[in-house]
Amino acid sequence: MYGGGNTFEGVKTESVALEDPIKLAEFEARIERGEKIEPSDWMPQLYRKQLIRMIEQHAHSEIIGALPEGTWITRAPGFKRKMALMAKVQDEVGHAQLLYSAAETLGKPREKMIDDLITGKSKYSNIFNYPTFTWADCCFISWLVDAGAIVNQLANAKGSYGPYCRALDRICAEESFHLKYGHHCVIYLATGTAKQRQMFQEALNRWWPPMMHFFGPSDKISMHTEVLMKWKVKMGTNDDMRNQFLDMYVPKIWELGFTIPDPLLKKNTQTGKWEYTEPDWEEFKRVINGGGPCNKERLEVRRIAEERGKWVRDAMKSSKAAYVTPLA
Amino acid sequence: MKSLDPRVERLPDIGESGVIKPKAALDQFGTYEVFVRPVEGKPFQHEGIVHAPNLELAFILAKEAFTRRFTCVSLYVTDTRNVYVSPLTEGKNNAYDLIPHVEESKKEKEKFEIYHLTKRGKQHIHVNTVEAGSPQEAMSVAKQSLNLGKSVFNVWAIRKSDIRFTASEENDLWITLPDKKFRDAAEYKGGDKLKYFLEARVK
Repeated sequence: MYGGGNTFEGVKTESVALEDPIKLAEFEARIERGEKIEPSDWMPQLYRKQLIRMIEQHAHSEIIGALPEGTWITRAPGFKRKMALMAKVQDEVGHAQLLYSAAETLGKPREKMIDDLITGKSKYSNIFNYPTFTWADCCFISWLVDAGAIVNQLANAKGSYGPYCRALDRICAEESFHLKYGHHCVIYLATGTAKQRQMFQEALNRWWPPMMHFFGPSDKISMHTEVLMKWKVKMGTNDDMRNQFLDMYVPKIWELGFTIPDPLLKKNTQTGKWEYTEPDWEEFKRVINGGGPCNKERLEVRRIAEERGKWVRDAMKSSKAAYVTPLA
Repeated sequence: MKSLDPRVERLPDIGESGVIKPKAALDQFGTYEVFVRPVEGKPFQHEGIVHAPNLELAFILAKEAFTRRFTCVSLYVTDTRNVYVSPLTEGKNNAYDLIPHVEESKKEKEKFEIYHLTKRGKQHIHVNTVEAGSPQEAMSVAKQSLNLGKSVFNVWAIRKSDIRFTASEENDLWITLPDKKFRDAAEYKGGDKLKYFLEARVK
């Protein structure tokens, strides 16, 4: 599970005023009652658009996120770790398929989503634009990036769109081993030799800034998303999600005797909130717009895979096929 | 391409970086609806879709996508176009009230699998099989025999002959599921190692 924070930049809410007020009121009342919206229900254009964008980004993140971990399958230490990592990567790619299907029920065909990923029109979780230099980097992803994603996805599973929630329920259930596996890998490094401890500490130093970026820009600079919160598209603010992650995992990292590369990181006992050095949001923007160390490689790997598979897909095409939007 | 991963470096040089011809319609194939019986004695339930070039491959892909990790004793798939769907309702409105009565046809009868959605937000569940001359008639037959007064928000009818079922000799597809312990959260017990480590740190 890899879905990161969504930035929702440039959300224009003007279109909501043009919606049919009676239908809009019924729609909002249904969400207020805690009921789910299904594909054939009426929904505002903005709801449809933002959901497609969010679910599609999540699907891309699963596919692209499998790359930095997948690269370590051949070099994972030992047979058991290889088996587990293969199963985990297979799960993540399976999750992408579930998520593409959920997005598709809103009317965007999978062909278009794959095109938009490769041309850079739609985004994926920024954190996968960084390289995994050592096995410890791979362990960091398996434990802490997955943990961050779980914080987000457990919240989103309580959202309002039926097909997305059902996909997330299935994904969360399949994930139960990923987090335990990741923690297990890190415990082994932490309790191993001095060299192993150093390897993980270095990975932690490399990955901490992107991990803080993972939940999206601070609420102070992020666009207003009240309407998306009201419609249960977005289930918590970026800062809330980040705080929840820090609450759950900083003590576990400290317990293993590692240091987190942020001298200001501490929990404010009065507010119950974590204080930290403000992440570098300029760096975040630079990487999301293609300037990260691995953006080009990630998209090239996808593009080449699509190109290489094309003749197989063409050979299997049937003239009887016709596209219809999937049901639920 | 320069990469830390030697396999990426070995990828062939195809096309132009960042440029892709827009995919043609159906490049990803049509969709098939997937239904799973999770354990013996439970009804089939709708799980989702797979994209596939034909019914046979849809069955194989469905097995990978939906029963790789969850318990399953039987699975079937059908083309999305072969699912006949009633209107979707909410609140106290029963979908069966919107299904018109259809006179019994003189055509040869076929079997149809009937699915109900009884809780919005959940999956469609199999309720029974009816016999009818057309999907519209199957809905009408279901309205008479399966409409038990409880709210049903959506009804699906699928012609049995359009379904790719699990054959009896394929039942062993799922027997290795419990052997793959490395996918069980319970298999990852780092507790003892962590405990000794923490005790040593305190000392």
